[in-house]
Amino acid sequence: MSDHPKPMIDGFGTRGKLWVGLLVALTAIGFIAWGYQISQGLIVTGMDNLFSWGLYIMLFVFFVGLSAGGLILSSVPKFFHSKRYESVAALGVLISFASIVVAGLMILPDIGRPERIHHFLTAPDFRSPMVWDFMVVMAYGTFCAAYLWLLTRRDLAAMGSRLALGVEATDSGRERDRKLGFWAAAIAIPLAIALHSVTGWIFALQIGRGDWFNPLVAPMFIMKALVSGLALVLVVAILADRFTRFRMPRDQVADLGKILWVVISIHIIYLVAAERLPHAWAGEFEFWAITSSFLIGDTVYFWLWTVVGGAIPLALLAVPSLRKRVWVVFVASLLAIVGILFEGIQLVFKGYDELNIGHSPGVTTGTGYEGIGSNIWMTAGAYTPTLVELIVSIGLIALGALIVTLGLRYLPIQSEEVRSRTDGISGGRAATDGGIDREEHDEQ
Amino acid sequence: MTSYGMVIDLERCIGCQACAISCSQENNVSLDHQWNRILTEGGDSIDTPDGEYPENGKDGTLEMNHLPTACQHCQNAPCVKVCPVNATYTREDGIVEIDYDQCIGCRYCMTACPYNARVFNYDEPETQPADGTGHVEQRDVGVVEKCTFCSHRVEKGLDPACMVGCPADARIAGDLDDPESTVSRYVRKYETDQLLEELDTEPNTYYIRGEMSPGRPQAGNELEGTEPKETLLDADEEPPNEAVRASSGGEWP
Repeated sequence: MSDHPKPMIDGFGTRGKLWVGLLVALTAIGFIAWGYQISQGLIVTGMDNLFSWGLYIMLFVFFVGLSAGGLILSSVPKFFHSKRYESVAALGVLISFASIVVAGLMILPDIGRPERIHHFLTAPDFRSPMVWDFMVVMAYGTFCAAYLWLLTRRDLAAMGSRLALGVEATDSGRERDRKLGFWAAAIAIPLAIALHSVTGWIFALQIGRGDWFNPLVAPMFIMKALVSGLALVLVVAILADRFTRFRMPRDQVADLGKILWVVISIHIIYLVAAERLPHAWAGEFEFWAITSSFLIGDTVYFWLWTVVGGAIPLALLAVPSLRKRVWVVFVASLLAIVGILFEGIQLVFKGYDELNIGHSPGVTTGTGYEGIGSNIWMTAGAYTPTLVELIVSIGLIALGALIVTLGLRYLPIQSEEVRSRTDGISGGRAATDGGIDREEHDEQ
Repeated sequence: MTSYGMVIDLERCIGCQACAISCSQENNVSLDHQWNRILTEGGDSIDTPDGEYPENGKDGTLEMNHLPTACQHCQNAPCVKVCPVNATYTREDGIVEIDYDQCIGCRYCMTACPYNARVFNYDEPETQPADGTGHVEQRDVGVVEKCTFCSHRVEKGLDPACMVGCPADARIAGDLDDPESTVSRYVRKYETDQLLEELDTEPNTYYIRGEMSPGRPQAGNELEGTEPKETLLDADEEPPNEAVRASSGGEWP
C-alpha cells in the first residue's frame, strides 16, 4: 500500500464527467441569465420598491452561514493542539472557501450597477455595515484559500504538483506547518465570528425595519452559521466518502451529529426563546396566551425553520442508536440546512412585510406602470422570486459545487497517512466515481 | 450654517395631490414612481374616511386627514450611513442628496429608510412625453432616486416645486438654523411633530397638527431670504427639457 498522497478522485469516469458537465452547464446558463438580467434591468426579478432585497440577499446570508462549519471544525481542534477531526479538516476548509465564493458572487446580480462595484474600493463610507461586510468577506475568502493551501501544501509537494509553489515535502516542513496551523486557527476563529456578526449587523442596525433592529441578530447569525455550516460539512463528507477515495470516519459522523444536536438546540430552542419570550410575556396576560404567543409563529417560514430544520433533526440526533446510523445524520443535516435557509427567508420577509407608515395608497411599486389606469401602489410587501432569479442562483450554487468537486479532484484533501488509518463509512466497498474502486487501489 | 427644512400644515392640506404632480413634473419622475406621496389617514383606500357614518340617530365618527410624505431630509439619516460608496450624502445645507453616477444600486438605503421615501429604477424610466419633463435630467436604470428638496431650484433661490404647486399654501420651506425664518417660527409657535420621531432620525420635516398656521407667506416663487424675482426666468435661465420646449412651440417661457 502506497503512502504517496493523491487527490480524492483519480480521474473522472463517465458519471464524474456527467456531474462536472452538469455543473458547468448550470453555471453557464446562470451567467447567461445574469446577462439577460443586466440587459433588462432588475425588472425581471420579483423585487420592487418595498421588497427591495430578495432571493439573492437571502442566499448571500445563507451561504455566508454555510461557510462557517468547515473552517471552525478544522481550526478549533488545531487551536487546542488536538488531532481530532483531522480527517475532515482540509475538506471543511474547501467547503468554506466554496461557500464564501458563492456568497460573495451572490451580491453581484443583486446590484443594479455591477460595473460600478469598484466604488467599494475607491469611495467607501466606513459607517456602512456593507463596507464592513465587504472587507470581512474578502478577508475570509482569502484566508480560506491560504489556509487550505497551508493544510495541503506538503502533500501537494509530495505529489509533485505545481500548486505547492516550491514548498518541499520534508518532515521538518510538516512540523513547521503544524505550528503554523495553530496560528492560522487563532486567526480563523475570530475571523469567522466577525464574518457572521457583521453579516447579521447589516440587518440588525436598521432601526427602520421593525424586528431586524434586535441585538440578538448577531449571536443568532453565529449559531445558525454553526448549524448550517456543520450540517453541510457532514453532508459533503458523507457524499465524498460514498463517491470518492475520501474516507469519513464512521465514529466521527456520530460525534459530529451530537455536536450538531447541541448547536441546533442552542440556536432553535435557546436563542429563539430568548428572542421571542420577552415580546410574548409583555404582550399577553394569561399563562396560555403567553405560551402560545411564544411558541406559535405566524408564517410558514417560521415552521419550516423550527420544525423541519429544528424539531425533526433534534429528535433524530437525540437518540444514540439512531445517531450512529449514517443515513440518519445525513437526513438530519439536510433538514437542518433547509431549516436555516428558511430562517434567512423569514428574516428578510419580516423586514418588508409591513410599512412603518401604512396609510393608503402606500408606496409606489416601481414596477407597475403599464399605461393609464394601472395600479402602481401597495401597502404591504409581497415577493416571489422569478425564474431568472432562480436560474442565476442555481448557476452560482453549481459553481460552488464545481469548486468542491475540482478540489477533490486536484488537491490531496486527505493525507494518505490519515486516510490509511481511517475506517470510512463505506469501508472497502467500491467507489462508484472515477472508475477506480477502493479495493483495487488498496492492492497497489 | 444652513439647514433647509419644511413645515407642512396638515390643517391647511386639502389632499388635492397638486404637490405630488408638481414634483413628478418638475423632477422628471418615472410613471412607475412617485417621490412625493399624499397618504390618506383614514380608511382602507385613498380619500376614504375612517370611522362610522352617522345613521339611525347616532353620532358619526368619520374622520379623514391627508399626510404628504416624501424624503424627510433627516439629520441622522440612516440612508446616508448605510450607503457603502458615499453616493448618498448630506449636503452642507442639510439636503440629503444622491450622486446618480456614484450609486451602485445595492438598495441598502431603501432598506434603511424608515419612511420608504426611496425608489429604484428597476426598468427604464417612463415619462409622458417620453423625452421627459421639468428641469432635471432623467435617472438611469439601476440606480436609486428620491426627493431632492428641489436642490436645483433651491440653488437658484427658488422654492421647491411642491410648494409652488400647493393651492392651500400648506407647505413652507426655509432655513431651520435661522431662528427668524418662517419655518423656525412656525415650529416654535405651532404644535408640530415629525414622522416616526421615536426612531431618532431627526427629520427636517415638521407637520403642524391642531391650530392652523397662516401658511406659506410669500406670493412669488422665491425661496425665503433670496432676492424677489419677477419671473421664473430671473433665477432659472435654463429652459425645461427639449421635449417640453418642442411641444410648447419652441418658445420659452
